[in-house]
Amino acid sequence: MMKIKTVDLTKTYRVGPSRIIAVDKVNFEVNKVTFTAIVGLSGSGKSTLLNLIGLNDCPTSGKIFIENTDTSLLSDRERRKIRLFHIGFVFQTFNLLPTLSALENVELSMSLAGKSQKEQREKAVRLLENVGLGDRLSHRPRELSIGEMQRVAIARALANDPEVIIADEPTGELDSKTAKEIIGLLFDINRNHKTTVIIATHDEKIVEIADMLYTIRDGKLKLEH
Amino acid sequence: MLYLSECLYNYHLRNSRRRFTTRLLTFCFRNLFRRKARTALCVLGVALATTFVIAVGSTTMRYTTVIKEMNVLFSGQVMVVSKDAIVIQAIPIAGGLFQESLAEDIKENIKEVEKAVPVLFITPIRFEEMIQLVPVNFSMGIPVEDWQLIIGPTPLKGGVGHFPTNESNSEVVIGASLADQYNWTVGKEIMVNGHKLNVTGVLDTKLALLNRCILMPLRLAQEIYYSKSKSVNIISVKPVQGCSQEELADAIEQQVEYVNALTEDERNDMIQPVLAQVETWNLGIQTVIFIMSLILVMTVTIMSISERRRDFATLDAIGAPLSYVFRLVILETSLIGVLGGILGIVFGSLTAIVLSSLYTNIPLAQFFPTILEIVPPIYMIEIFLAVVVVCCIGGIIPAINATRTRIAEILRTEY
Repeated sequence: MMKIKTVDLTKTYRVGPSRIIAVDKVNFEVNKVTFTAIVGLSGSGKSTLLNLIGLNDCPTSGKIFIENTDTSLLSDRERRKIRLFHIGFVFQTFNLLPTLSALENVELSMSLAGKSQKEQREKAVRLLENVGLGDRLSHRPRELSIGEMQRVAIARALANDPEVIIADEPTGELDSKTAKEIIGLLFDINRNHKTTVIIATHDEKIVEIADMLYTIRDGKLKLEH
Repeated sequence: MLYLSECLYNYHLRNSRRRFTTRLLTFCFRNLFRRKARTALCVLGVALATTFVIAVGSTTMRYTTVIKEMNVLFSGQVMVVSKDAIVIQAIPIAGGLFQESLAEDIKENIKEVEKAVPVLFITPIRFEEMIQLVPVNFSMGIPVEDWQLIIGPTPLKGGVGHFPTNESNSEVVIGASLADQYNWTVGKEIMVNGHKLNVTGVLDTKLALLNRCILMPLRLAQEIYYSKSKSVNIISVKPVQGCSQEELADAIEQQVEYVNALTEDERNDMIQPVLAQVETWNLGIQTVIFIMSLILVMTVTIMSISERRRDFATLDAIGAPLSYVFRLVILETSLIGVLGGILGIVFGSLTAIVLSSLYTNIPLAQFFPTILEIVPPIYMIEIFLAVVVVCCIGGIIPAINATRTRIAEILRTEY
């Protein structure tokens, strides 16, 4: 389990002459395997917070600690390695590479991590079978339904056995039935793989099953339970 | 834990680097063929540029080689030509006749002379051939006892036939290219300026000049071209041992006012500025063409990168090293260079032989077997590497742009 902690985390953007505070002095902590949901309206700062926690962005002020290491002291290369080995990302719009097949999309992360081709192939097949896409291995993203694309994205996120999965509105583009399946999948991963899931959502079903629930409004985070 | 994973990463990375590169290459190919028309046009643009460089470069290179070769024939000798002759490498291509007896005078009066051989060099330039940069067909009249002094130890093809042995008979030897073009063989009777001549041998030589030459006894040449007048346009003078060409040339010019006595260095100096200019122009044209290719590749790749920002941002998000993204883009532009370079070399070589045929009126088919002489493999490799390097350089700025793409920025700006 990877410990994540933020201290007075703030992110501001300049838009023309004005300054927008996307994340405002957020203190957030995950120190055990949980299914954590962050709920908020569009523009409340959910994605920005997740990008900061996932080391995809740098804060304007405040600190992010991963395993008690101050990430502001890490080089870009070290931050990339943390993303590669310890964090899996699931995006609202899946962000699969369109020229690669489902299998290759999953293998890519492992390939970047330096795993052998045999290991990559076996694990990618297993992961895709686990998300119900055993018969869609060689299909390119354009040949998959949106639900299937999100499943491939989840398989890719799991490729390097991350301790944390960060999912940014993973059901935002999906119909209710597919959304339910995806939530179930993420919940299974959390429970069976002992992987922390941090999820930004509007979905009420997620709110119901989350171990920890945060709400975010105007960049301010509040722990609900 | 972080340290351990880093060690594991580096170990596996070393072991799987080869497969990793193959996979990267496949990825690049697919990315390129995602926009087939654009990639095809870009490759075609690079191919056309390469074609132009190869065609112009090899054509000019061939002409400069032929001109340089002219000096090979008279290596180590001073060439005496009339002051009013138009000369290329001291070979008179127009005007400048003088009496053959001058050779005897020079031999008798100048002590530094070991041998003076009168030569009649004929370049039948006609109006319709003026487009040619250098004359294509030549005739050369040489006294039969002095063949070796002019053409060296050039053998006859297949060892068949013999060099003319008598000044007054009608025997000639011909260059292989002429023989191929007109299907002339040993024993064949040919017509030159209304005279029947017998081919007694075909020269086996790589020199373009001799390949397009009819060699005949001096007397016969004078009879055919100047109605038995004992005129010549070159005297090839060999200095005695220990005498420099410069000393000999000075002595000849002091003795005979109406001639230029040109040493090997002077002959080279005469043509060198022209050849240098040709090469400079060639280099200039190549540079401009390569810069245009670079701009083309850069523009197309920048466009492609801007369309694929999300893909690069995704790679960034999943932790792909910057070097991976950089290599991906550079490899794509290199592939354009490789494909364009290969096509360009094929088209360029074909264009070069078409140009050679057009400018020399020698049938195209005759050039095909000599394609590697017209466009030497080393030149092909040089241009190919230059094209690939140019395309690599064209990928640098787009690659830097690609490595700067961040997922947070994409998510913020594209929704």
